[in-house]
Amino acid sequence: MAMSGRRILVVEDESLVAMLLETMLEDMGCVPVGPAATIDEALKLVDQETFDAALLDVNVAGQQVFPVARALEARGIPLVFSTGYGEGGLPEAWRGRPTVQKPFTEAIIRDALMAALGVKRA
Amino acid sequence: MKHLDLSGDLALGIVRAFDASPNPYVLMTPDLRFAGMNQAFLDVVGRAREELVDRPIFDIFDGGGSSEKAVENARQLRESLERVFTSGQRDHLALIHYPIEMIGADGAVRIEDRWWSATNTPVRNAAGEVVYVLQHTTDVTELELLRRRVTGDADRSAVNAILSGNVMARAEHVQKDNRRLHAERNRLMDLFIQAPGFVAVLTGPDHVFQMHNAACGQMVGGRPILGLPLAKAVPELAGQGFISLLDEVRTTGEAYEGHRVPVQLVHTSGGKLETVYVDFVFQPLCDEDEAVAGVFVQGHDVTVAVRADERQRLMIDELNHRVKNTLATVQSIAMQTARYNPDPVRFAESFQARLMALSHTHDLLTHSHWEGAALFDVLRHETEAHGRRRVALHGPPVELKPASALALGMIFHELATNAAKYGALSVSDGRVTVTWTVGHGSLSLVWRETGGPSASRPERRGFGSRLIERAIRHDLAGEIETDYGPSGLVASLTIPAESGRA
Repeated sequence: MAMSGRRILVVEDESLVAMLLETMLEDMGCVPVGPAATIDEALKLVDQETFDAALLDVNVAGQQVFPVARALEARGIPLVFSTGYGEGGLPEAWRGRPTVQKPFTEAIIRDALMAALGVKRA
Repeated sequence: MKHLDLSGDLALGIVRAFDASPNPYVLMTPDLRFAGMNQAFLDVVGRAREELVDRPIFDIFDGGGSSEKAVENARQLRESLERVFTSGQRDHLALIHYPIEMIGADGAVRIEDRWWSATNTPVRNAAGEVVYVLQHTTDVTELELLRRRVTGDADRSAVNAILSGNVMARAEHVQKDNRRLHAERNRLMDLFIQAPGFVAVLTGPDHVFQMHNAACGQMVGGRPILGLPLAKAVPELAGQGFISLLDEVRTTGEAYEGHRVPVQLVHTSGGKLETVYVDFVFQPLCDEDEAVAGVFVQGHDVTVAVRADERQRLMIDELNHRVKNTLATVQSIAMQTARYNPDPVRFAESFQARLMALSHTHDLLTHSHWEGAALFDVLRHETEAHGRRRVALHGPPVELKPASALALGMIFHELATNAAKYGALSVSDGRVTVTWTVGHGSLSLVWRETGGPSASRPERRGFGSRLIERAIRHDLAGEIETDYGPSGLVASLTIPAESGRA
């Protein structure tokens, strides 16, 4: 499996949605890291942990996730945005990035992560 | 009109000349009383000076009695006089039918039919205010009667010769026309001044304010702009593109229309620069040679509409965001409930119960317009299905933010469901007591079950206990301790009040 063993950072403020993502990631053989419920927690994880990609909720407890996205970019770690707003909810600078809209299926998450990681479908 | 400063002999000389003039003159005050008159006027109306001075004009000369015609005569004269006082412009009454009361030599009063031609001229004081109207009036009764008596063609042409071509009738006609045009102009001016939108006429290459209405003045915080070039009158417009647009309208002669255009404007007197949105038209005004002489500016402030649209768009975005998030939450509940409940009937039961728990908290939040909910109400909603007597709630009022209320709603639902299945609420004598206190920057809450079977740590953690633990840690940045003892489960929750999430 293409995604097997990949470590994926999850940033999501709602525990139920975070649990859903973890379940989906585990089902596709990934190792979820986190989940981080706030920007501070996420930035700490970016600093301390290693992972292959990240799934970022755009709006985290009333704050925008972009500081985390910048920190990830600086480390060359690919990322996928998840949002309730759709791609139109992203500021100009981040448009065109792999984005998933809530609610999502496992296939949607997998495709977005593969696109971000540059993994070809097996 | 230039004001003459009169004094001494010159003044006296002018007064004498005025009195000696063969032309009848009368001076009237703004409240339409006689201020003075010369001898010629007294002669023509057959009155003595003391009868008239200080008396209201229309008491003495009422236009010929109380008939409709007389009232109309008086109205015409009154309007002419008032026009002079309000406009400061000379006004002509080329021909006016105005019968007057004459007192004969025998002392008897009789009404005499008279026609007049009058010019009303403003007289100003040093400050330029109109303080009198000087009326020069000529009694043209003879001419008019003559004109009316004439029937035969030969005679008519003779009269026409005298009157240099039916001048009276023409004068009357012109006067009527003037009155109509004057009324029309006033109506148009009123429309222009009172228009709800802003209206202005800018002329010349510097776009000088030739005229503007009240709304236009209000747009710029009541600054004086009349007679000033736009760039000087409203300097903050510089660099916002409006002046070059006006230049373009002048060179191309083509109108420009703008919709919802933002303008940075000092909108209130002495206020800051604000963004105002306007719909407007720049319409070229051409002179006789078809050259653009000015630009007619017309438009209105649509800021309120633009802001309302913006608010609506934000609200729809926010609503969409919440709905999508809620759907993801429901999706999660469905997926996880399914994992732990392979039996479809039990799945449906659990799933529906969790959905209802979520919905209850939503109801509470809807009541407060999503400001938050009271801890007591959240607990009551999630436990009351098991009987109010069996679940006792004790604690001070605590207000929860929406996210905390939703998380605690799910937690209490799971605790209550668990108690009903395996704990105190599974037997008829069992009770649950929930107590909470607030202090040291955190909320401490204890869920204590009594009277039920003794509790032991479950061998396999279900979705319920995972959900409780995750919600406390993740959504509330808090902690939970569970104690399984012979008298039942005791769960102690600690939630920092200022975690940013509670």
